[in-house]
Amino acid sequence: MAKLSLMFENKIVKEVPIGSRPVTIGRSPDNDLPVDNLAVSNYHARVYYEAGRLVVEDLDSLNGTFVNDLRVERATLHDGDAIWIGKHHIKVDATADAAIPWDTGRKAAAPKINETMVLDTKARRDLLQQAAAMGERSQFASGRVRVATLVVLSGKVDLKEYTLTNKLTVIGKSPMATVRLKGWFKPNMAAQINQRDDGYYLGTGDKVPIVNGNPIAGPVRLNDGDLIEVCGVRMNFIFRE
Amino acid sequence: MPGCLRRGYNPVLTGRLEGEAVQIVSSGLSDVGRVRTNNEDSFRIVEALNLFILSDGMGGEAHGEVASAMAVDVISAYCSGDKEDSGATILEEAPENWNSQTRKLRNAVAQANFQIFQTAQKNPEQRGMGATITVAWFKDSRLSIAHVGDSRAYLLRGGNLQQLTNDHSLVAEQVRRGLITPQQAEESEMQSVLLRALGAHPDVEIDVDETEIFPRDVLLLCSDGLTRMVTEPEIAGALQAETKPAAAAERLISLAKENGGIDNITVIVVRFEDESEKGWFSWMRRGAAKKD
Repeated sequence: MAKLSLMFENKIVKEVPIGSRPVTIGRSPDNDLPVDNLAVSNYHARVYYEAGRLVVEDLDSLNGTFVNDLRVERATLHDGDAIWIGKHHIKVDATADAAIPWDTGRKAAAPKINETMVLDTKARRDLLQQAAAMGERSQFASGRVRVATLVVLSGKVDLKEYTLTNKLTVIGKSPMATVRLKGWFKPNMAAQINQRDDGYYLGTGDKVPIVNGNPIAGPVRLNDGDLIEVCGVRMNFIFRE
Repeated sequence: MPGCLRRGYNPVLTGRLEGEAVQIVSSGLSDVGRVRTNNEDSFRIVEALNLFILSDGMGGEAHGEVASAMAVDVISAYCSGDKEDSGATILEEAPENWNSQTRKLRNAVAQANFQIFQTAQKNPEQRGMGATITVAWFKDSRLSIAHVGDSRAYLLRGGNLQQLTNDHSLVAEQVRRGLITPQQAEESEMQSVLLRALGAHPDVEIDVDETEIFPRDVLLLCSDGLTRMVTEPEIAGALQAETKPAAAAERLISLAKENGGIDNITVIVVRFEDESEKGWFSWMRRGAAKKD
């Protein structure tokens, strides 16, 4: 069984063995390896066994996960590798495991393509074929599904945690609201969270919500770990696997 | 009505929200635009059901309007029928979490797709005709939406305009996959390439969604003749400035025409009015509504 050692400036902070359950790494204290640093996302990465291989997977962290010095979305780990997360690194000790061959190919995270595409006839045909193939599959088939979650820290609401599965989420007293506020004088629709192609946006309702201490002016895109306050309720917006 | 350059419809309906009566005021308007000579868009507001249907046809020689009119006809007839519908009859997997109205709506769209496809197969000159569909059905504070193609449904709530549907166009898919930016999509010459449409295959993948409606929400269904000409902030502005749906529909269409009007423009604007804010009058209405 392999072992992970969280290191900071060459000192071991914490060590955990990897069993059948994934080891989670992140800023939130409920991670197996909590890393208390603002550069680290709440749920930053995880390490687990898959078909006998040890795998690290970045959980769409803001600042990325690096194996040795290559930024990765997912990579097979070998004995002696170092996973870099912010200024911390995690040493991989897999001496107890059977050696994993190196030919598995470590894929770098795909760069974001921004350049304008030139559409000649062939490119167009290829694109269409590619598009047709995409159209066949479900739109959401690609990649892992990240589930946006509201974790209630304090305040009177009906649940401790809400999974944002709909395009529209309402925070309010209304019986139709997803996040049901309790108590007198609460508005039926205090605020709303809308899912768009590029993320989740918090918008005003009858109240102006506060994000990380600042009242919002218009719809704002929520980032992993944002603190939302509305009508005396404090919530953390996070992404879960 | 096919062939009309302009057509409109302005019913006032009533429905219920949170057990309270709401007034549903809607308006549909379709305009040929400034460049085309025929209008291939179709829409229908079925008052008795609170059903709103919009379809944008394609395929030259007036076949586009045949396809879009057929889509509207088949869906309104299917939804009006009182046949018990489990939702599992046409498409094998019937998701558990949707209500019966949503499932029926999806079957209605599947039926429309099949009929357009069949008609096109039988009549060689109509091969290649197809249509988009965006349909919204309101009942008991819930809105069911079914959608295929690049027409859109938007919800304006508390000043935020939210698109409820995903475009099934090549450029939209490329944007979702991070291959191109929204700006590049707007400039792309491939905006008209659809990944899905009614009538292209015997079966089609249909996007279905359900959402709660709150008092003061405004629903907009529109064809791409609007969204290619008018930006989202302009759309939100028009919906907020004009509180009468008929006036909002007029303003949206004139904005699209001012900005070029290269395609047919069709809009359906639906406002869910908060009756409880109208004082004693709403008490009488609510009292009256409870009797039936």
